Amino acid sequence: MKKLLVFLLIIGVLVMVFSTVLAKNYKIAVVFKALNSDWWKTVQAGVNAGAKDFNVEVSVVGPQAETAVMEQFNMIQDQINRNIDALVVAPLRPTTTNQAFEQAKKAGIPVFVFDTKANWPDQVTFIGLDNYDIARGLGKYIREKVLTTGGNLVIIRGAMGDKTHDDRVNGVLDEVKGANIEVLTIQPGNSERGIAMNVMQNILLVHQNVDLVFCTNDEMALGALRAVETMRTRTKIKVIGWDGTSNALASIRDGKLYATVDGNAFCMGYDVVKYVVKYLNGEKIDKNIEVDYSIIDHTNFEKFIERLQKVLKRKI
Amino acid sequence: MQVKTNEVFGGTKNRAGWFNIIFNKLGALLALILLMVALGIASPYFFTLRNLLNIAQQLAINALVAFGMLLAILTAGIDLSVGSVLALSISISSILIVNVGINSVVGIFLGLLTGTLCGMINGLLLTKFHLPHPFIATLGMMNVARGIALIITKSSPISGFPEWIQFIGSGSVGPIPTSFLLVLVTVCIFHYFLTRTSTGRYIYAVGGNLEAAKLSGINTDRVLVIVYSISGFMAAVAGVVLMGRVNATYPLAGLLYEMDAIAAVIMGGASFMGGIGTIWGTLIGAMIIAVIRNGLNLLGVPPDVQTVVIGSVIITAVYFDVLRRRQNEKLSKQTYYEMMS
Repeated sequence: MKKLLVFLLIIGVLVMVFSTVLAKNYKIAVVFKALNSDWWKTVQAGVNAGAKDFNVEVSVVGPQAETAVMEQFNMIQDQINRNIDALVVAPLRPTTTNQAFEQAKKAGIPVFVFDTKANWPDQVTFIGLDNYDIARGLGKYIREKVLTTGGNLVIIRGAMGDKTHDDRVNGVLDEVKGANIEVLTIQPGNSERGIAMNVMQNILLVHQNVDLVFCTNDEMALGALRAVETMRTRTKIKVIGWDGTSNALASIRDGKLYATVDGNAFCMGYDVVKYVVKYLNGEKIDKNIEVDYSIIDHTNFEKFIERLQKVLKRKI
Repeated sequence: MQVKTNEVFGGTKNRAGWFNIIFNKLGALLALILLMVALGIASPYFFTLRNLLNIAQQLAINALVAFGMLLAILTAGIDLSVGSVLALSISISSILIVNVGINSVVGIFLGLLTGTLCGMINGLLLTKFHLPHPFIATLGMMNVARGIALIITKSSPISGFPEWIQFIGSGSVGPIPTSFLLVLVTVCIFHYFLTRTSTGRYIYAVGGNLEAAKLSGINTDRVLVIVYSISGFMAAVAGVVLMGRVNATYPLAGLLYEMDAIAAVIMGGASFMGGIGTIWGTLIGAMIIAVIRNGLNLLGVPPDVQTVVIGSVIITAVYFDVLRRRQNEKLSKQTYYEMMS
């Protein structure tokens, strides 16, 4: 009886080994910052498309909200234990996930970082464009296309200490510094629409001469826009958001929101899978892979709406 | 129990000076006045009519959530689910109104019903399923309701509501914001409910001493279920104001609103131990929070400093209240000794 069991066990192990060797499709774990926003859903669509094209098994996980740093850390650990071929992570905060990366390294799993830099020396590559660099681009756009003759800027930002929002603010600030643009105030909007609306109302009372409002995400931009709209005399104020969410695109179409930034979520998701497969197949890849971004305004919103409708499978 | 109700309704007759009387009765109000004077000096925009009306509008959502929270805290409980229940109920309303296209009044009604039901479930989990502390039932509900809101809205915002909903959130009657009027009406109803109806009085009794309340024949389970149902209902009402204010529903609406609501209730002089607290106090607590946030914006205080200030003000305001209560205790002891001698 015992012998039979051992025999079956050996057979079982052999079958498992052979099946993995024969099937040859890689098991890749992708850890997001969150799953429930338009942005991450678009990234996921890109990842899924890549998985289909390259015939690999991809599991996508992500924490409840973009503040759940520990939850993400634990998720990475869980993925390492699943015996994967490659680990791909968009770290919520740089360095917080490095301890988990060390564990992956010990287990011999290559680590890819995307979307946000991790400051971890042993990563295979970073895929994406740093928020800071995109923000520089947006700053340039503000300088050259929006406030061409100078003007007054207000910034409403997400949580302090959140790398994403820090980068977005600093990039724009560094770019408009030399120009004839005055930053009237920077205020917190907690990344939430209702709060941002309150904050904007208060700012409008103090500053009579606001020309442009930059919010570090679209939710806050739509709240700020609402505050501007309720004051009928001040509708000339332009509002710029970030993320290219469905609501923001619709608002640009309706001539309300001035612009938003699209970090090319779909392409990034697709590229992540593409480069991981390349690496696993033994090809050499760059240490830093840049993804293009776009600034969406009234001149080019149509194609982005079309693309997002395809990804979300509904009309915007 | 009797002593507590006396204290709550201002029955403590002490022979202290006028300062003590003001300090006793108006701990939180005093903090609010000091804060407003300071901000008035610091910013010339603070005492403009426009700004005061802005504040009135900005405090409405937190105040409405806090009123429900007050009831839970009065029974020595807590309701952590309010922010998520808010999101779930307005998600249901929005889907019904915008996507399904049913009558908006019916849609809002069903949203309010959803909030009430969530609260009722919290209450039943606590009383019939004997979960050890409302912290647990409402923490569970917080996650469940948020999750369902995300699922049914597919994590996307919904917008485009009829005029009357926007009127509740951002309209005004004369110069007064509708949402603030709603707050005032609610305060009056709650005041009547808590002081003049038997159920209202039972709430204090349950919080003062659950066992004693049971022994004196109060159906404490029924009281608790009512309390959590009202809390859920109030979250949903606040949700309607939010919907109208930003003219949109988004699944992360109300995130962390429970924290501001708890802060408002505690600053308003309610005790975590239950049995102590008034609706007026909670209104003042909500005002304090709105005034701080507004003042910091007007002054252009950097975001990182703002968090420090808000935290410090919460602690200071509650400390005011602790001082007040100590003074009270001292006085009542004094009276006791004098009576004995």
